Order: sequence, then structure tokens, then C-alpha cells
Amino acid sequence: MTKRKMFLRMITASLLRRRSRMLIALLSIGIGATILSGLVTIYYDVPRQMGAQFRSYGANMILLPKDGTVLTPDTLQKTLALLPEEELVGATPYRYVRLDMTRRQQSFTSAGTDFSQVVKTSPYFSVEGEYPQHAREILVGKEIADTIGVKAGSSMQLTYKPTVAVSENAADDWVPLATVRGSAEGWNTSLVAVTATLDSEARIASITIDASSQTEEYGGRTQTDEAFQNQFIGKKLPLTLGEDVDALSGATVTSTAIVNALNHARSVSQAAVATERTGYYTVTGVLVTGGEEESYVFMSLEDMEALTGESRLDVAELSVSANAAQLEEYVQALTDADTGVTPRLVKRVTRSETAVLGKLQALVFLVTAVVLLLTMICVSTTMMAVVSERRREIGLRKALGASDNSIRAEFLGEGMFLGALGGVMGSVLGFVFAQVVSINVFGSSITFQPLLLPVTVIVSMAIAAVSCLLPIKRAVAIDPALVLKGE
Amino acid sequence: MSLLELKNVSKIYGDLKALDSVNIHVDQGEWVAIMGPSGSGKSTMMNIIGCMDKPTIGEVLLDGVDISKESSKKLTDIRRDKIGLIFQQFHMVNYLTAVENVMVSQYYHSMPDEEEALEALGRVGLRERARHLPSQLSGGEQQRVCVARALINHPELILADEPTGNLDEANENIVLDLFAQLHKEGTTLIVVTHDPEVAEAAQRTIVLEHGRVAREIINENFGKKKQGPHVPCFRISGRR
Repeated sequence: MTKRKMFLRMITASLLRRRSRMLIALLSIGIGATILSGLVTIYYDVPRQMGAQFRSYGANMILLPKDGTVLTPDTLQKTLALLPEEELVGATPYRYVRLDMTRRQQSFTSAGTDFSQVVKTSPYFSVEGEYPQHAREILVGKEIADTIGVKAGSSMQLTYKPTVAVSENAADDWVPLATVRGSAEGWNTSLVAVTATLDSEARIASITIDASSQTEEYGGRTQTDEAFQNQFIGKKLPLTLGEDVDALSGATVTSTAIVNALNHARSVSQAAVATERTGYYTVTGVLVTGGEEESYVFMSLEDMEALTGESRLDVAELSVSANAAQLEEYVQALTDADTGVTPRLVKRVTRSETAVLGKLQALVFLVTAVVLLLTMICVSTTMMAVVSERRREIGLRKALGASDNSIRAEFLGEGMFLGALGGVMGSVLGFVFAQVVSINVFGSSITFQPLLLPVTVIVSMAIAAVSCLLPIKRAVAIDPALVLKGE
Repeated sequence: MSLLELKNVSKIYGDLKALDSVNIHVDQGEWVAIMGPSGSGKSTMMNIIGCMDKPTIGEVLLDGVDISKESSKKLTDIRRDKIGLIFQQFHMVNYLTAVENVMVSQYYHSMPDEEEALEALGRVGLRERARHLPSQLSGGEQQRVCVARALINHPELILADEPTGNLDEANENIVLDLFAQLHKEGTTLIVVTHDPEVAEAAQRTIVLEHGRVAREIINENFGKKKQGPHVPCFRISGRR
């Protein structure tokens, strides 16, 4: 038998045959290791867990079209491909347009979106009824629903009017039904611009001429000549020069351009009216958020495309499961990739996330440190008791020729053995502990980190070893002569 | 040839002279008893001879080497290599079996050898009890295990401190019988006792009083003591 074997035999005998005492030490190390591995698991899992939690408070990144460009679904997909898939909780595209409710003098903002993503980026949306699942189904904000009296199951007729040439003129006190704008080539092929407001019967109510590009003393006079301009009032488009209105003398070319501009504007306006589209929709649910979304009508992007004839987006809201630093990196990466979007962080969300996470991790760290300290005290106390209990035995061993180092090795060996055993116990129980905490607090399970097993065992052994230092010092100081003295 | 020699050894604690200019010598193979009332300096002398204490003044020659000035580490080495200890309270490691207790001594000395340890237990008649824990052994059996443990490394000197103090007469006789066998094999024995019967078993008795050697008695009847019929006789293996 080798010395090593005898060493192990003595240690195991000491641990196995003096169970009750060693059980206390083992238990304290085991519990310490359990808390350690459990909390470390939670410590590293908290950002993921909390990230998922935080994601229920809405998007933390938005993508906007770069100035002067149009955000298309293609651009969006290309951009999203640059983000790590597993961290992208959801990406909701939005297209906002003004829609009219055909049978009422009502119009409201309508958002085209992807409902499958809305539930991911805006989990706080509450729907009375259901999210639209089929074509021509819409979700109506509570505010609108209350105003016009619709509910799930109602149908609505919505009209889209392009704003190319016909628009409301809010600047004027007198509210005309429409304003037409047009321009045509005048003298020297320079453009003359004309703006006319129409009354309810489509007669010209006012006219503004911008002929600044024309010769001042000839064509330029059309801007100010009241007699000339008054000819237009009350007339219906189109106009014929020489019949409906006369040219201003000395400015025939400019006058022709003005009439042409108006006629052109009319044809564009008619084209616009011609592109007006109307759709019939079924309300599947009423959206309650407590926010401005309640004044929107939501429909699928496909329906929106069919209605407007355009495939474009205004904004995309992203929910990314990452911490503030990572998000900054992603923003930088997306900016560098230059896919035609401008990424922005929703600072309000990311900042509070970072703050809460930091505090939580600090708390977990603190608790772990305290638990480890308590474990150390407990193990140290137990080992101290063991040493005083075994004074006689230690004296005997020394009398039999044990060197100080042998005594150290034996106690350290016992301590480390307990540490290893407690570490293994703690790794398993710690995982169970973390799992229970995770399920109860965060409502999701965690995966076992294999690396944590050796780490826990090593830390437990180290703690056991450190705890043994003082007891060992005591043990070494024991005088072998004590065994010679009678009881 | 003397194995142990104390030359003018004193041990002084403050004003108290536990040992006062003691001169003794023990020859190789001799069986010596040390007697004396409590406080006579027996324990102090035992500690010094057992390399667990150092004299304040004087020389202690063990096997020709002066151990009175050695470091405690060196003393541990000497004790391990040359001395086998037997105690009044037996002192076994209570969570180790009889054979393991013997092996502990081998472990610190050189190399544990279970066969040899079992053989040593056989010498003291406890081979069948080798796997028992101390709590399962009687006092006499425990002390016999301790004798086996003391002799396992073939020490020059076996130092026994009241080896029969906690034993009944039957067991006392067994232990003394074992000593007699060891003596026959040439092992030097120093037995500290206050029991005249135990002292009588030795060749020579040194009596201590007030830290001094009061007298020495040569046992003229040594080896003639009749053994009782109740004493079992163990086979002595041919070691040494």
C-alpha cells in the first residue's frame, strides 16, 4: 500500500466514520456551493431573463428611412439580416397614411403593419376581440371605436386619397374644398406657377400667380394685375385663352402659360381623384393601449399596399434582446452597413434596463459574497470544533512521528474532500435552485451551464481550504506530549 | 553499550526543578522501570526521553546522539525512527480499525504495509480483531494493539507510560508477557510506572523523588517470575 492510498484511507475513514460532525461541515459547504452556483447561474441569466421581461415594455430600437430615401420592405429585411437572429425579438414595420371613412366626414391615421410582429414588439397591446388574421381585417383604436361606434364584427369603408395635387388648405381662413397647383413654360421656357383654390362647386375662388421668372415689365405684371386675375374668378376649369379669359396685353406668352398651368393642374387633380381607392374592411378587434395608438386604425401591410398602391414604410420598431452596450454596437454596425436606414435607440427604454440590471446584478453579487463568507465562517467553526475534538488524536499522530506538514496535509485533505463533495452537491442543487427561482420569478427555465460544475467545485474546495487555515494552525500547535499525561 | 544516557539533566520551570541533575543510563536491550510518586519528575523525564521536550540543562544521548539541543522537527524524526510509544490511555485513532491504527505508525515512519501490520497484530494475539474499531475492542485489546503499533517499526527503544494503569490483572499480565518477549528479542524497554508489580517485571528500577534519582534497584529475581496459568502464550515470530 502506498502512502497516498493510506492517506486517502485515513481521510475517507475520518469522514465516513465520523459522519455527524462532518455532515455539518459538508452541509454548510454544500449549501454555500448551492447558493453560489445558483446565484451565479442567475447572475448570468438575469440579463437574458430580464431582457425578455423588458422586451414586454416595447421596442428599444427604431429604424427610420435615411433623409431623402424611401424605406421599403426589402430594405428593412436586408437591414434586419444584419442583426443576430436569436436576439431579435421582433421587428414591426409601420406605414402611416391618412384615410377617410367614406360615408362620414371623418378621417384618421391608419397604420399598415405586420400583426405577427406587433405582438412581439408591443406585447402590452390589449385587444378587445382578436388581431386581424386575414385580408381586409382591421384593428380599430379605442378612441376611434368610441367616436364612430364600431366594435369587433363591424364593417368599415375606408378611402385613400392621394395628396399629389389635391390637398386641404389649412393656412387660409376660408376653407375651400381643394387647391390646385400647376406650372407651365412661359417666356424663354421659364416656369410659371399658379395656385388656385376651388369652391364647393369647383369654381375658381382665388388665384395666385408666381411669374417671377418672366420679364418684369411684361409677363411679371400678371402677378399684380387685378383686372387680369379677376377674369379667372368664378370660372370652371379647363379654360381657353381668348374665350374664358383674355391674355394680358404685352404678356401673351405668360398668360398662355398661366392657363396651361391651371389646365394641367386640373388634369393632375382628376388623375388623383381617379386613383382614389376604397376598401371594405371588417373590424376584428378594438385596440386598448392607453396611448396614442387608440386613435389609429391598424391594417395589414398588404391591405395598405392594395389601398395606396405603394409599397413603402415609414418606420420599423425593433425589439432586440441585448444590453445597452450591445445595442449601441448594433446601431453602429447598422449605420456602417449603410442600408438606407437610420437606426435609433429608444434611450428611455435602454437606459432604465441598464440601470435595473446593474442593480439586480449588484444585489446578486452581494448576496453571493455574503453567503460565501458565511459558509467560510461556518466551515471554519466546524473545523475548529473538529480540531479541538481531535486534540488527542493529533497529539498521538505527532507522537507517532507525524510532521507538521503531515498534519496540515491531513486536515487540508479532509477540508478539500469536503469542499469537492460539497461543490458537486452544490452544482446540482444550485441548478435546481436557479431553475426554481427562474421559473417562479421569471417564468422561464434556464439551461445547465457545464462550465459551472468545475468552477463551483474549485471554488468550494478553495473556500474549504481557506476555512481550514486557522483550524490547521491550531492543530499544528498541539503538543504531542499531551498524550502522555493522564486524563 | 548504552543506548540512552542522561548526563546531569535538569528541567526547570520558573522556580520549580522538575528534574534536578539527573544521571541515568540504559543499556541496549535492557528493561528498565522508572518509578516514583506523582510530581517526582517521571512525566518530565518521559517527555525528554520520548523526544517531546528538551532539558533546560544537560545532555541526552540517544544511540550516541545528543538530542538535548535538537529542533522539534528533528526530534520528531528521531522519535519516529527510534522510539515506540505506549500510553496509559492507549490512544488509538478512534475512527480507524485496529490494523489501520498500526498502519498509521508505518505511514509516518516509512510505508504502510497491511500484511506486516496484520502480522504485528498476530503477535499480540489480535489478528482476528484486526478489522474492529477501537470502540469494539476491550481495554486490554486496545493496549495490545498499541503494543503492536509501538513495535511495528522495530524501534531501538520502547517507551511505555503506565502501560497497565488502566488494565485489569489478566490484561496486565498479557502486556507484561509481551514486554518480556520483546525483551528477549533484544528490544530496549523503559516502562514508567507506579505499580511495584510492573516494576518488578523489569531488570532494573530507577526510583525518582523530587526530580532526583533516589535509588536504583536491581531485580535479582528477573526472569524467574512464574507466569500464571491464565496467561495465554503467543507465538513469537522470528523478527529481530
